[in-house]
Amino acid sequence: MDRVNAKAAALFAAKETRRRKLAGLPFPDKVRAVVRLQRMAAPLWRARGKQVAAWEIEQSARQRPTR
Amino acid sequence: MEKTLQVLNDLVRAKVLSRYAIGGAMGATFYVEPVLTFDLDVFVVLPQTRGGLLTLEPLYEALRARGYRVEDETVNIEGVPVQFLPPYNALLEEALAEAQETRYEATPTRVLRAEHLLAIALQTGRDKDRERVRLLREQARLDLKYLNGVLARHKLEDRWKEWTA
Repeated sequence: MDRVNAKAAALFAAKETRRRKLAGLPFPDKVRAVVRLQRMAAPLWRARGKQVAAWEIEQSARQRPTR
Repeated sequence: MEKTLQVLNDLVRAKVLSRYAIGGAMGATFYVEPVLTFDLDVFVVLPQTRGGLLTLEPLYEALRARGYRVEDETVNIEGVPVQFLPPYNALLEEALAEAQETRYEATPTRVLRAEHLLAIALQTGRDKDRERVRLLREQARLDLKYLNGVLARHKLEDRWKEWTA
């Protein structure tokens, strides 16, 4: 039981670290993340009858992820 | 979103708007982790109309003239549904007056201060505002002295204590 709790605690700590890292991103990168969230969430919202759509914004060269 | 902000700046230059600042979930996202939202809340001060009437119609008219569509309570500007909100109380007036100047890529813009976003969420008081207060408290770099001043001026200290107990 303790081992499970320790594992869960480690997972939650990693999650918290990631959230703080996301909070520190430059604003344009956060906006790009919001648009990704919108693309994931919009079909679920629409299924519940809410008319929403992901933003159709062009990404500048600086905003585009590099591969 | 840069083009959207360029349109807003153009409206300021054209004196359709006196000033504007980003608020709501996207304003909070400036300070904390990305928060899901489908519209961009923009607080605006319009030049005083002759009768002193508080109306967004001159703004909508200017946007329509630029080819943007008004859809329900938002205007789609360059792919982003923008909800314009006039400062309807003293807290919002102060928040707009003291908004932070920043840049989005190469474009100058203004975002409400984190302390004001927190106070507005406290004042609005919905469930999602509680979550916003929690996020801002955990992740934003708050100026506590400044925040305490805002909370005192707008009589939000009791709710702050209640929500953070």
